[in-house]
Amino acid sequence: MSLLQVALLASAAAIAALLGPFLIEWADTPKRHVLGVADALAAGMMLGIAYPLMSAALARASVGAALGAAAGIVATYLVHWRLDIGGAPGSSVHSLAASAVHAAPEGLALGAAAAFDPRLAIVLAATLAVHNVSEGAVLAAHLPRGAGGRARISLLVVLSNAPQVVIAVLALALAGWAPALVAPLLGAAFGALTYLCLAELLPDSYELTGRTSIALVVTVAAGVVALASGRVW
Amino acid sequence: MRAFIQQPVVQVFLYALLTAVATSFGALPFVFIRNLSQRAAAYANAIAAGLMLGASFGLIVEGTQHDGAATFLGAIAGVAFILLTQKLLGDHGHETEFLGARGAGARRMLLVIVIMTVHSFAEGAAVGVSFGGGAALATAITLAIAVHNIPEGLAISAVMRPQGASVLSCAWWSFVSSVPQPLAAVPAFLFVSRVSAALPYGLGFAAGAMVFMVLVELLPEAYEQAMARGIAVVTSLTMVAMLLVQRFL
Repeated sequence: MSLLQVALLASAAAIAALLGPFLIEWADTPKRHVLGVADALAAGMMLGIAYPLMSAALARASVGAALGAAAGIVATYLVHWRLDIGGAPGSSVHSLAASAVHAAPEGLALGAAAAFDPRLAIVLAATLAVHNVSEGAVLAAHLPRGAGGRARISLLVVLSNAPQVVIAVLALALAGWAPALVAPLLGAAFGALTYLCLAELLPDSYELTGRTSIALVVTVAAGVVALASGRVW
Repeated sequence: MRAFIQQPVVQVFLYALLTAVATSFGALPFVFIRNLSQRAAAYANAIAAGLMLGASFGLIVEGTQHDGAATFLGAIAGVAFILLTQKLLGDHGHETEFLGARGAGARRMLLVIVIMTVHSFAEGAAVGVSFGGGAALATAITLAIAVHNIPEGLAISAVMRPQGASVLSCAWWSFVSSVPQPLAAVPAFLFVSRVSAALPYGLGFAAGAMVFMVLVELLPEAYEQAMARGIAVVTSLTMVAMLLVQRFL
């Protein structure tokens, strides 16, 4: 897969987030339960994406995959801690920065998957697109009223996914330059995605709705995505 | 004697019995303290969640090598089993007396023991089914469940000890809560070893039940008692460590 192709795939997944604010606009004032389920859906899909990445990484180089995963977890934790992401809801800038930090590991996953198997990258991009719709809806609902009108909010939501495109291209370029890095990169994507799911999406969803609904949605979504990506890959 | 111990069924029983005994280790901290801090309980839950997620990952990898769709269906059955268990337990809450305590305290003690006991069946089935996937998988799953059982024993003891129960009583009831593990492990193993087509369903069942338990019990409780960032980093690093251990077993 070429750098241009991965850039296009990542851009398509990022632009899909545009649908999120429209869904929120359409639903008027979404109920807490709906937002909680949207968060849980995004979390389940993220765990489902993480599964084939780590399976591929472990099959290629176990220790490299584990070291990459640990590095992905620690690096994302440090960024979270430094920017104080995961605390109380903040300003528009804070919410958008959190979304941009969240998008970077998704780009890493896409770039590393493209280096491993283009079919896996296509499944990941399709899953990320659906995942981004859920995330776009939740982000638009959380943005304060002062953030602007519908068009401005939609643009901000899409732009907050820009790191997904940049990091996907960089990861593929890095993997092409040093193929030994594919397993650690896949592992790092797994670690960062798992951490994000556990630090952001799940705690938010537990605050919004009941734990049984969350567990059900996450388990089924993760299972469907893992099964689909396993079949293609 | 040696030949008896080396029989597969006896080995499955002994491995699962070991996981049950590990549950009673959860009472040990209460030799020194009367109450456990909320932060310590939260991180114990986070470690248990990471171990169980890592163990489930191994079960799913093994299951999908046989049949991905069957593994998925098994996982859905595992989720349904835990949901049904929760529903049945929810319908039987009465004011009661237990170990000298009365009212809400006694009910809390009894409820935590009953919940742990019922969901132990799924964990026992996981140990039994994992033997169908080979010795390395069985050792990894047994290890994960044994370590996971310690915080469960801790949870039981943390409810019982402040109500006046002795440390020995806490250890005993923690062990009793896991007795279904050796009892469920043997039939689960016999079933998958005789009906090989059932193996991916069984592996999926165990993985689905464990992931669902992590999401419905361990993580929400951990998030209530400590910062999400800390819980996330401990859970995910433990999960990665468990994946690495499984690769080298």
